[in-house]
Amino acid sequence: MSRARGATALVVGLLFGFLLTASGLGDYRTIHEGLLLQDPYIYLMMGATVLTAAAGVLLLRRRGTTAFGGPLTLPRHPVRRSTLYGAAVFGVGFGVGATCPGITVAMVATGGLYGALVLAGILAGLWLRGRAEAPRWALTSSRRAGGRSRRA
Amino acid sequence: MLHVLPHQLPWWVAGPGIGLCVVAMYGLANVKLGVSGGWLQLLLAVQGRPVTEPWRIWFNSGLVVGAVLAGVLGSTALHGYGALGGALPAYLLVPVLLAVGVAIGYGARWAGGCTSGHGISGCSVGSPESLAATGTFFGVAVLVTLVLHVVTGGAL
Repeated sequence: MSRARGATALVVGLLFGFLLTASGLGDYRTIHEGLLLQDPYIYLMMGATVLTAAAGVLLLRRRGTTAFGGPLTLPRHPVRRSTLYGAAVFGVGFGVGATCPGITVAMVATGGLYGALVLAGILAGLWLRGRAEAPRWALTSSRRAGGRSRRA
Repeated sequence: MLHVLPHQLPWWVAGPGIGLCVVAMYGLANVKLGVSGGWLQLLLAVQGRPVTEPWRIWFNSGLVVGAVLAGVLGSTALHGYGALGGALPAYLLVPVLLAVGVAIGYGARWAGGCTSGHGISGCSVGSPESLAATGTFFGVAVLVTLVLHVVTGGAL
């Protein structure tokens, strides 16, 4: 099952990366002009994505089962404070850089090599948030256990 | 660059195509498509910690291959970093872009997803958390962009 899941992810990921890049989202201007409310492309595209996916999910719900992942389980989570704080911090980076975790790859793939710097920053940010979320007791207990530096 | 692809696929081709990617991940593998989770799993792998969702690393590997393929077939050749690269000298652009990345990565992990996981996958199933996250990061991004536009006298 995990092999089928990996193969699916590889193939779907390839199509996803192709479409993201071919839609010109790696060009700073595309997202920047969208966020400036001057070009509706990103909103139309995202709207079409969500509507298509919602229609497909409706059909999947009726079926109730997945090809090799067992009974269909869809994410449904309440809004937490962390959701809003995190999304606000994300929005600052999204606004200033006019890019996001997938788009950085589209940037680099079309020659925008500065996108690699943003991606390096994303990895650092993910790591930093892990440090911030690490429970305090783990820090103290690992120090007591012999001082091997904790990784977050 | 082979100039086979247009500069930009129409939104009504790219949008539904990506929507089908989301449906495929739910319907075949029963998982939620998202990119930042893949970078997180890669980070865990690099740190030598247990990779809890290996499929995510496969997904992001496919993403890289697909992006390179589109780059090779496409007609877009980017230089620098758009208007932001024009407005800032390199010695400022580098730390600013690193900080942009840190905000994106930190915020995505805090919020439990990014533009793909929340914005596309979560919104398409109507998860309240994803709808709130998407509204928040788009709202903040538009606000930040408009403020920068005014403050820089239209340079950004």
